[in-house]
Amino acid sequence: MNDRRTADAARIGAAVSRVVERVFETVARVHDAALGSVARDGLESGRAVLPGGTRELLRDPGQLAVGLGLVVAPRPREGLPLRLEWWQVDPDGGSLRTLEPDLRPSSLGYYDYTATEWFDVPRRTGRRHVVGPYVDVHGTGRYLLTLTTPVVAEGEFVGVTGADVPVRRFETHLLQALGSRPAAFVLVNDEGRVVLSTVPHHLVGSLLPDGAGELVDGAPVDGVPWRVFLARDGRPLQG
Amino acid sequence: MQLLSGDARRAVFAPLDDGALRSEAVVRRVGSAVALGLLGDGEQLPSETDLATMLNVSTVTLREALAELRKLGLVETRRGRGGGSFVRSRDDVLAELADARLAELGTTDLRELGDVHGAVAAAAARLAASRASRTEIARLRDIVDRLASAGSVTGQRRTDGRYYIELAACAQSVRLTMQEMDLHLELSQLPWPPEVAPSLLDVIVAGHRAVIDAIEDRDAARARALTESHIETRTLWAIELRLQRLGDASGGAERQVS
Repeated sequence: MNDRRTADAARIGAAVSRVVERVFETVARVHDAALGSVARDGLESGRAVLPGGTRELLRDPGQLAVGLGLVVAPRPREGLPLRLEWWQVDPDGGSLRTLEPDLRPSSLGYYDYTATEWFDVPRRTGRRHVVGPYVDVHGTGRYLLTLTTPVVAEGEFVGVTGADVPVRRFETHLLQALGSRPAAFVLVNDEGRVVLSTVPHHLVGSLLPDGAGELVDGAPVDGVPWRVFLARDGRPLQG
Repeated sequence: MQLLSGDARRAVFAPLDDGALRSEAVVRRVGSAVALGLLGDGEQLPSETDLATMLNVSTVTLREALAELRKLGLVETRRGRGGGSFVRSRDDVLAELADARLAELGTTDLRELGDVHGAVAAAAARLAASRASRTEIARLRDIVDRLASAGSVTGQRRTDGRYYIELAACAQSVRLTMQEMDLHLELSQLPWPPEVAPSLLDVIVAGHRAVIDAIEDRDAARARALTESHIETRTLWAIELRLQRLGDASGGAERQVS
């Protein structure tokens, strides 16, 4: 890798990292609000854990997340059902709305969140996680990146706090941040799925085929299990 | 009632697109939502005014539809405090509705519906072969395992619907996913073939498994072709069933759905 390419990859990686950390800062604030509430009042069926003001984080200037909240781990024996306290910015307006997905297993539209990666991975690993791009079927119905952290109170897993960033918003923001004519690159997640790309034939959402020969110099991105690959000849358009 | 915000529910209360003042269309929509479990037993419907606005029908039409639903036994209305219209999930009524719907449709309607479903699902299968992650493929398999062991007709129908919706999500396409949800609201208005011939469930399960194998092999052409031919087969079942009922009604020769 020559110096300029190293610098390109580092610059792209750093920009991605900054965006991810910024969203995780929001998630941390939701997390702290949830933890404070659980430590003070415990978990009880029917009572909201997050203070009502938490949703206002969605209105922070420059906020990339369009949804955030707490998703509670069900504890059937203690009478704690599946439950979300999740707000989202209405796609058609700008008003904040509660997300109320269908939580009945007998429904075609059942939102089986305990089986989702954004819930399951933090539960198993005890660490923060980024999932996506993915279609959030039965939930928000959007194409998303979801960032989550586990909430653990007195050694017990309470649920996850998280935030949703639409893939389109992530792309628009980063392409703007990288300025005009960024190097031809492909940002790939830990499943080999394209998260962001300036190489038109590597579409966002597709899996990078094995041996995509024109892509070289994979460099890790700080704080997230993603890699940046640069296109070999560095030009976005090839005739 | 606080309206749930899942996508499938969005489809239930989406405006009836032709805007025609036909209470039957409302009855069918509610019937299919109950069949798919999108409206659960005992669930309260939105107020008449809200429901009429959501579905884009007049309140007169809506009242006609509610009266029909009450007569059928799919809706129960309670007066007074805490009153309103509540859903009753009844498999026998749903089966009758499905038969009536089948009798209304011509074979070309059934073919059209199959053509669109084939186009959407086959495109999803082709894309899923290059875009579905291992986790997503495992989820598809899990859904089909649950379909194979689903005990009730409604359970089978819902799980089959979830397979197609998940397949579209594996294609990483919000639009295809929405299309599948809308299509299943229509498809669920028709009889479920394994209810007539239980062995057909095995054909459906085997069909889905073959598609998932192709997706796992990253064979886009095979995933598409298998999905297309499976849906063609199912369209033919529906058409045979339609013709068979015609035969039954006129005392004609017996036909078997094969």
